[in-house]
Amino acid sequence: MADKNMRFLVVDDFSTMRRIVRNLLKELGFTNVDEAEDGQVALHKLKTQHYDFVVSDWNMPNMTGIELLKAVRSEPTLKGLPFMMITAEAKRENIIEAAMAGASGYIVKPFTAATLEEKMNKIFQTMNK
Amino acid sequence: MSEFGGMEELLQDFLMESNDLLSDVDNKLVELEKRPDDKALLNDIFRGFHTIKGGAGFLNVTAMVTLCHRTENLFDKLRNSELSLSPEVMDVILSATGVVQDMFGTLGQGLMPQPCDPALLAALDAVLAGESPSSAQAAAPAPAPAPASAAPAPAPAQPAAAPADGGPDWNALHQSVTGSQPAAQAAPAPAAAPAPAPAPVAEVVAPAAVPAPVAAVPPPSPAKTQPTVAQAKAGGNVSGPQENTIRIDTVRLDMVLNLSGEIGLTKNRLTTLRTEILQGNHDTNTLRSLDESISQLDLLVGDLQNAVMKTRMQPIGRLFQKYPRLARDLARQLGKEVELVLSGEETELDKTMIEDLNDPLVHLVRNAVDHGCELPNERIAIGKKPQSTVQLTAEQVGDHILIEITDDGRGMNADSLRRKAIEKGLIDVETANSLDEKQCLQLIFLPGFSTKDQISSVSGRGVGMDVVRTNIQKLNGRIDISSVPGEGTRMSISLPLTLAILPVLVVRVCNQAFAVPLAMVREIITIDPDAIQEVSGKPTIVVRDEILPLKTLAGLLGWEPTQKPCFGVLMQSAEKAFILAIDSFIGRDDVVIKPLQNIRPKGVAGATLSGDGSVVLVLDMEDLLSANEAGGGTRMSELISI
Repeated sequence: MADKNMRFLVVDDFSTMRRIVRNLLKELGFTNVDEAEDGQVALHKLKTQHYDFVVSDWNMPNMTGIELLKAVRSEPTLKGLPFMMITAEAKRENIIEAAMAGASGYIVKPFTAATLEEKMNKIFQTMNK
Repeated sequence: MSEFGGMEELLQDFLMESNDLLSDVDNKLVELEKRPDDKALLNDIFRGFHTIKGGAGFLNVTAMVTLCHRTENLFDKLRNSELSLSPEVMDVILSATGVVQDMFGTLGQGLMPQPCDPALLAALDAVLAGESPSSAQAAAPAPAPAPASAAPAPAPAQPAAAPADGGPDWNALHQSVTGSQPAAQAAPAPAAAPAPAPAPVAEVVAPAAVPAPVAAVPPPSPAKTQPTVAQAKAGGNVSGPQENTIRIDTVRLDMVLNLSGEIGLTKNRLTTLRTEILQGNHDTNTLRSLDESISQLDLLVGDLQNAVMKTRMQPIGRLFQKYPRLARDLARQLGKEVELVLSGEETELDKTMIEDLNDPLVHLVRNAVDHGCELPNERIAIGKKPQSTVQLTAEQVGDHILIEITDDGRGMNADSLRRKAIEKGLIDVETANSLDEKQCLQLIFLPGFSTKDQISSVSGRGVGMDVVRTNIQKLNGRIDISSVPGEGTRMSISLPLTLAILPVLVVRVCNQAFAVPLAMVREIITIDPDAIQEVSGKPTIVVRDEILPLKTLAGLLGWEPTQKPCFGVLMQSAEKAFILAIDSFIGRDDVVIKPLQNIRPKGVAGATLSGDGSVVLVLDMEDLLSANEAGGGTRMSELISI
């Protein structure tokens, strides 16, 4: 099972949403959570600190989630980092775009802790293969 | 009870953040009317609705999700140039934001909002389908046209078609993309990945998209098809719920923490010194340390008070940002062209005052648009540009905040104000004739005064300006008018920075100290008994050609004077100036008013402690004067300082 001490970075411009995600992660036993309010801040944090898992919103000012994802994947030290996209985008192209850019998982708002856990487990399984 | 999906504790956060977001969206909408093709604006507005929708989804507020979803889709089409922004489309969008605002209000009371008016959803759907909203209203009883018009373009990826209920199966979608393509995650191979993916996805999407056009057609509703109904409501509701939480810059909070820590250290030092002194150690070093520690404490407590006060300070922009939309809606309703220009939004003011300022400011902005600004053709006729400008500014002047609402409209005519006041029986002809122009302007603050002959739904009920003035006075503020006929009107509101600490002038009468608010003190004069003149049986003093009534504080309190008053304090409240005669002065002080428990003596706002530990009563001059007026004296003559 996943290490409960793993360090998360939650990226969303809406602070309420960051709190929601943080709470859901806490429900799953993950308490080591840091936050960033957009892709730019997140990228800077990812380059300077160590994280085990990124949970990012798609639609943000300055740097969107997909731009962040692409930047992360093009960074040699970060390209293997689990990256889950959270969004309300109800479009097929978005899922494909995220998958192509290398998203480890994709979850649609609103979701419950159980859904989040399921998606995360799927990612952990793939990683351990 | 988990009506909000077990996230009740997040509700307040959500409301506060979303309210800001929506105000921002509202302003951007007003901007958008000027620059309908601004992609960045369209993007921002899109994101605003999108974010609110996301949060609302977690809180199970389905009604809001449904509404925001359609509005968001609409902006998606606008930013992709699939639709263009017409005034009708704008009206529908503005109604939608009004309804979202109403829903915030409902949520603020801890209630789940009702599903929004199907007519609005129908209008949104019609716009999305490329029809004009008015044709949707006409078509509403016959639901056939909507799906028909959607049918010619049954693209499976059509985002607009996705209904709120019965949406695509995202789990299946997710699996179809990531599950069937594990290679895409481990080692992204862009060339290979997309090829097989679209096929299974399309399968899942297709069945979901088919019922969409049908589901999107709401049940026909015969009533309230006009978006303007919701719009007018939105204008009245801008204040929203009162916020019980406050956001504080962490730097400011750290400062409070730091200072309280230092005060603790100084207290420890003083405790040690006390022990030494009590043990009989009175040498110079000990006393010097005591002196130093107390000076330090003095400094620290002052800093702490400031720091705590700063945590309550909020930029007034949070209030201002609601008004461009208000002005725009009202102007549109009245057929006027008005631009509201804001400045000084960063000016900070005590949080409670910001909340209490909303109603007066809403009223003044409405008045400026409704009464001040002329119709475009009237403006052109007198050589003005058709669009009126209303300026709303805030700035800090010394220890006061000055808020001004200036319009470039028709201004106020002293004679017609005078005539109106007589017609309404508010003053008699004799009083009216004795009023100069500036005093005539003050007439609008009289209860029951309304300058409009026709009562409009927006302003002009005649309950406005006196309530505005009372509210401003409650905040220890002042409101002044200046107006030039044909050129415009300016309303100036002057407010103290905070209500927590009140600067006062401490005076003495009958050997007792009283504090009067310093904000009302204009100047201090010595009273020469020979200068007192009687005008219609009342004592007055002429100060620089201004005849001012003289009132003794002892008399106002109903006490027997113990000596002839030596000094006069020239007091100025909103519209009356008078001289308060007192025995002597003690000085000025910054006090914290403590309310009196269970008793409420007339004219006393509360009590405070003076430096020597004695109790000083803080006077409420307005209250004291009205109590005095009730016991005789004509109302008008005192209200308008003759």
